[in-house]
This record gives sequence, C-alpha cells and structure tokens, in this order.
Amino acid sequence: MIKRLLQMMLVLFVVSVIVFLMMSFTGDPVFMVIPIDSTAAEIEQARRLLGLDQSLFSQYWIFLSNLLQGDFGRSYVFRQPAMDLILERLPATMEMVVVAMGIATVIAIPLGVYAGANPNRAASRSIMAASLFGISLPGFWVGMMLIFFFSVRFQFLPSSGRGETIEVLGLRLSIFTADGWSHMILPAVTLALATLAIILRITRAGMMEVMRQDYIKFARAKGASRRHILFAHGLKNALIPVVTIFGLQLGDLIAFATITETIFAWPGTGKLLIDSIYRGDRPVIVVYLMLTAFIFVVINFLVDIVYTLIDPRITVK
Amino acid sequence: MMNLRMIATKGTLFAGALLLSSTALSGLVDAKSLTVGLTSDAVNLDPQAGEELSSNILFYHIYDPLVRRNADLSFGPGLAESWELTDDTTWVFKLRKGVKFHNGQEFKASDVVFTLDRLKKSLMANLGANISSFNAIDEYTVEIKTPRPYAVLPNDLAAVLILNEKYVKEAGDETADLKPIGTGPYKLVEWVKEDHIALESNKDYYAGPAKLDSVTFRPITNGATRTAALLTGEVDVIQDLNVRDVDRVKADDRYKVLSQPSLLNVVLSIDQREKSPTIDLDKNPMVDHRVREAMVRAIDVGAINKIIMNGLSTHSEQYVPASHTGYLDGASFRDMYPFDVEKATVLMAEAGYADGFTVTLDATNNRYVNDQQIVQALASMLGKIKINLKLNLMPKSNFFGYIRVPSDKSSLIMSGWDVPSGDGGSMYSVMFYTRDKKEGYGQVNRGSYSNPEVDALIDKADATAKLDERDKYLQDVTKILMADIPMIPIHYEQDLYAAKTNVDITPRADKFLWAYDIDVKE
Repeated sequence: MIKRLLQMMLVLFVVSVIVFLMMSFTGDPVFMVIPIDSTAAEIEQARRLLGLDQSLFSQYWIFLSNLLQGDFGRSYVFRQPAMDLILERLPATMEMVVVAMGIATVIAIPLGVYAGANPNRAASRSIMAASLFGISLPGFWVGMMLIFFFSVRFQFLPSSGRGETIEVLGLRLSIFTADGWSHMILPAVTLALATLAIILRITRAGMMEVMRQDYIKFARAKGASRRHILFAHGLKNALIPVVTIFGLQLGDLIAFATITETIFAWPGTGKLLIDSIYRGDRPVIVVYLMLTAFIFVVINFLVDIVYTLIDPRITVK
Repeated sequence: MMNLRMIATKGTLFAGALLLSSTALSGLVDAKSLTVGLTSDAVNLDPQAGEELSSNILFYHIYDPLVRRNADLSFGPGLAESWELTDDTTWVFKLRKGVKFHNGQEFKASDVVFTLDRLKKSLMANLGANISSFNAIDEYTVEIKTPRPYAVLPNDLAAVLILNEKYVKEAGDETADLKPIGTGPYKLVEWVKEDHIALESNKDYYAGPAKLDSVTFRPITNGATRTAALLTGEVDVIQDLNVRDVDRVKADDRYKVLSQPSLLNVVLSIDQREKSPTIDLDKNPMVDHRVREAMVRAIDVGAINKIIMNGLSTHSEQYVPASHTGYLDGASFRDMYPFDVEKATVLMAEAGYADGFTVTLDATNNRYVNDQQIVQALASMLGKIKINLKLNLMPKSNFFGYIRVPSDKSSLIMSGWDVPSGDGGSMYSVMFYTRDKKEGYGQVNRGSYSNPEVDALIDKADATAKLDERDKYLQDVTKILMADIPMIPIHYEQDLYAAKTNVDITPRADKFLWAYDIDVKE
C-alpha cells in the first residue's frame, strides 16, 4: 500500500514537471489574455499580475509550495482557482461516462459471451463485423449522424447541452430528470460505441480461449446447464482482461471525452482541457493532467482489487 | 406599480389592467424570451479581466459604458449624458442622474473614478492608454485628462464599462467576475459554465426596459451542432453560421441568414529591414518598392474570395474600412494595383529579382476564417512571380508571441487587425509609427516600417483635439501608406448569423450582438 502511495506521488510529480516544461514551448500565455497592441509596460504589468515575471524554475517552486498548502493555482484566463474550474465541470463528464460505460458493458458482455461460445454461427459473425464499425467509425462522425437523424430529421431528441439539472448533495446532476436523460442519450451512445466494441471483442477472445479448456468439458460432462457453464465457468475465467480494459477505458473517457463533449456542447471537463491548451492556460492543464494521473492510479488500484474477487489466487500487494 | 407600467408599455388597455389582480397580471404579460447560440462560453464577466468576443457580448448586456457605440459604429450618450472639451486635453463628462445598478446602488461619479483606477492596474490597462488622469468634480461630473490632445477619447470610452465601486470592493474580484453587477439592460440570473448564461430584463433600465424579458446564451462550439440547434428550435439565433450550412438554412423559410462585413482586416505585413530574418540574401529584396508592388499585383483577391471564402469576404480597399477616421474616399488598393501577373513579373525583373527569392510567411491555422487555405493560395500566387513562399503555420497560442515586435524571426506575417473604436489613428500609431521612438507608438510595427513623414502626420493627428483635423491628417497618412505598401490588405471576413424568421435582428458592425436591439415578433 505504502509503496503504491509513493509510486503515485512520483507519478504526479513527474506529470507536473513534464507539463511545466512542455508548456514553456507553447508560446507566452500573456499574449492570450491582453490586447495585441499593448505597450511593453502594459505587458510587464500583465506578467506581474499573472506571476509570469518569475523564472520558470521559481514559478515551479511557487506552484509546488502552494500545492503543499492545498492551493492548486489560478487560471490565467478565468482568474479562478484551477481546481474549482475542473471540479465544477466534473459531474457532467462523470455522469456521461458512467452512462456510456453502463451501456457498453450491458450490451458488450452478453454479446461477447455469445460470440465466443458459438464462434461459427452466422449471428456471431455479424456481431463481430458490426463491432469493427464500432472501433473504426470516428466519434465525431457518429455524433454528427446521430444529431442529424434523431434531432434534425425526426426532431426526437435535443441536439446539444445538458438540459435540466437538479442539485444532489451539492452536485449538479441531470440523470434524475427526464429532460436530462433526453439530452444524455446521444452523447452517451456516441461515447459508448468504441468501448462497447473493444469490450465485446476482448470478451469473445477470452471466451473462445476458456471454452477449449478441460474444465469446461468436465462441466459439460457432469451435466451442468449451458447457461451455468457459460457464465459461471466460462465468463468468470475470461473476465480478467475484460476488467483491465474496462478500467483503462473508464479512465480514458473521464479524462479525454473532449470530442464528444465539443460536438454535443456538453459542459464537461474535456472541453475545458482543450480550451486551456489553446489558450496556453498552464495552471489548468497542470492540475487537469495531475488529476487524470490520479484517477488512473485509483482505477488501476480498484481493478487490482476486482481481480482478487474474480480469481482468489491473485492477491493485492 | 411595476406591473402597471409593463402593461402600459405593452399598449394594453389601462382600464382592463386595473380590474386584474397583480398575480394574474404577471401571467398575462406574455414574457418574450430569446435563446442565442454562441461559439463559446464567456470566460469572464468582469470587463477588466479579458476581452474575447463572447465575454464582450455579455459585458454590454450587464454593464454600460459612458459613451455608447451604436450598431453602425456611430457614437452617442451612454451613462454620460453629454461631454465637452474644456481645453485641448481636458474632457468633462456630465453623468446621467438617477441611474441604478442592479443592486440598487445609485450610479455616481465615484463609480467612474473607481472603474478607471481599477482599469489602469488591470490586464486591460491598454483600454485606458489614452487617459492620463481623472477625477470627480461633483457627484455627476467627471473630468478626464488625456496625455496629449486626443480627439477620439469618447470612442475609447465606449469600451470602458462602468463598475459599481461599493459592490466590487465588498464582493472582491472573484465574486465580481462570477456575479457581475452593472447598470446594463439585463441582469445575470444564472451562469452555468459551458452550459448557459441566463439574463433577465432590468426593468429599471435608464433607457427603458428591453423588449425581450429574458435572454439565454448557450455556448455551442461545433458549427454543425450550432446549425442543428437552430433547426431543432433549441435556439433562436446563432452566431457564426457555418459557410457550408448557408444554403441549407436559406432553403427553409422558417429561418433567415444575415451577413455583415466584419471590421477584421486580414493583412500581410512586409519586413522593411535591410536584412530580413528568413531571406537568405544580403539585402532584403522587399525593401525595393517594385518588389512590394509586384507582390500586391500577384495576389488575386477575387480568386481568394470566390474559391476559398465562398464569396463570403469583402476585399479591403485600404487599411481601415469606410466608416473609420483615416479612410480616404475613392482610394483603393485594387484600383491602384490591380491583379496583373505580367506587370508583376516585369517589376520583379526591373528590381533585379527575375529569378525570385525564398521567404517564409508566418500565419495562424486556427485564428482567421480559412487562414490555412488563404496562405496556401498566396504561396501559389506569389510562386508565379518566382517568390518561393515557405509557410510557417502555427496555432494562435504560439503565433502572437512568435511574431511579436521586434519580430526578429519574421519576414512576412499574415494577421488580422480590427479597430472597433472606429478610429484609424489607433491602428496607424501602433502599426506604422517608427519603432522605439515614442512609448505607446509602433509597438506592433512588425515590418519595422519607418517613414518620418508618416510619423510627423501621426504626431499632428495626435496633437489636435478636433476630430475633422485628425481625420484629415490620418487620410494623408493613408495616402502615403498606400503608395509605400508597408502591408498588403487582403480582405474583411464576413460575419454570418442565422435566425428564426420572427426574430427582428440586425447584425452589428463590431460583432457585439446586443439583445437590447433585438425583438421577437409573435
């Protein structure tokens, strides 16, 4: 546990150093916030206000010492605490990702089990062919098509935005309103598609592998029902890689749902990241990527715990 | 009382209104609302914290300036009722009485002084560059001094929005940014970042309440989604209609497309230094007037308009548009140097560059409409006169720091310039005045252009407090510049909007969509 915690600190430290170094190559953020025809004196004043008048090293030192006091720095552009900007947008993203992962899992696992257990049936082949579309169709195209058909053509679902939200435990959530759901469906489906295809293919591959094992034959011989064989003996043993991919995808969607968020004007964090990159808003980028690294570390830890539940032979060190 | 007045303005029978209880009344008055799809969310609602377009649009709903800039760039009274020059550098502004901020505070001269004081220390200090001192003479009179005679101070003040001293001091900068209080025609109801900004009409607005009771701004970054949101009825007006959606929207008679030439002049600035950073020759060929003239003649703005801009650009005649001071009637780059490759080739040969030369053009790839395609077209056009253009494209976050004066990495730069204040002088003094001669002059003179005559005329323009004299001097500058060609103006982009047919909206020259001027027909 302690070793993991130290590893995490190291990861976060490295991320912050890399972002600091990288951002020093992407142009001077001061020109993103002041009028172009500002005089040298006005530019100096702006630099001072933003804390950019210090050397890169001392800027990093200030960042670190503030960090230890729980201050993650302020956005150059918004002039607000960077962490607040991210946390304010995080519920919207989390909500969409959870729904998308839900859709993906509920559809992908049964289909993957079916296709893996009956690899030669026509239905399995069509499932596999369809999953190729899921992997290869770009999200922005899928999103635009969904908007075109369901919003513009059939006027059935709204094209963009988050709809009505209500506050639950201080978080602004839309999954508790019908209007919120109607706004949620299209972006969640768009986001789910690629993950669905990947999980489906991994499940199938795992199942095909497992179904050849002796213990499956033995289970059949002892007369266990087909359903029991598939899910209790088969799926359980095929799940390890599925859980791994699930964790990675989850982290990926939380951090980088940028394209889907932009297309559906979804007020989430991905859009904040891309805007901040365009604006050279280093404080937001640093905190964002550190938070992302943190989320990945946590998810990986949870994945390891899930391993032990699936396979008691594995232990978490 | 409130309800009665609203009824009266709606033109309903007063007698009828008296019969109804006040609760029934509020339901009867049909609340007009409008939803606008913007390209991005406002970043700040504190007008001294930033200046991008979406924020600017919101500023003018929530706050008022002393001087109002109208949709056609004419100027009129805002929070100041009138103003006069008492000597060459002293302006006295008489403030409107009885104006209330959204928090009920009365607007007074002290608020103006506080605003200017805070402005000078802010990131937007540039907006107050031509103000040297200011003080309140009495509660409703403010005196503002300029460092030198400056005829267009009122134009500058149209960009300075007045804050409430008490509120900003008590609330602090961060709260003032998120929960702004102004005197403007609309009050902030709710700002959900990246989702929507809801405003409601300020019923006590000094010029009378707005026709629309509530306005919602929604940021929809993706152009196609913005069009879809209009077509599904989720929004009533959209900013920046995608060029490829124009025909689709026009074809449907429930919607209309509006266009307006923008003030943003896309220009090519030419290095005038003896040795240019990206040209591998001892002498910079572009110092030769014939080479510059050849470059202008080799560029076919008509083709750029037709092929790249789909007809949605207006070629620039001069450096500033016709509405601005400094515009010279009848003069046009397109008449002086019409597109003529043969003539251009001859000029290149006369200058001794029949074999051409290689030069790098710095440009953005995400700042101006089709900027990348434009520079690619320029490369092929200048290629015809054997100027081998290397393209150095970068995102805007890198660009403006990269090309910054002293511009010692750049020979040719494509960028845009707009002057919403309507004063060509503000552009000329920063872009064409000799560098490093005077503080506040020549700081964006990227080509290092220097002409003592131009400097002298700009000095004269900045030494008179009379607008017509200033205009005259600046026109003389225009004449010299057009002969000298320190920059090649290419075109003005076209601003495109789409709206439902029942929305009564006229685009503004400065792009600052203002709901106070908008109405919705039943």
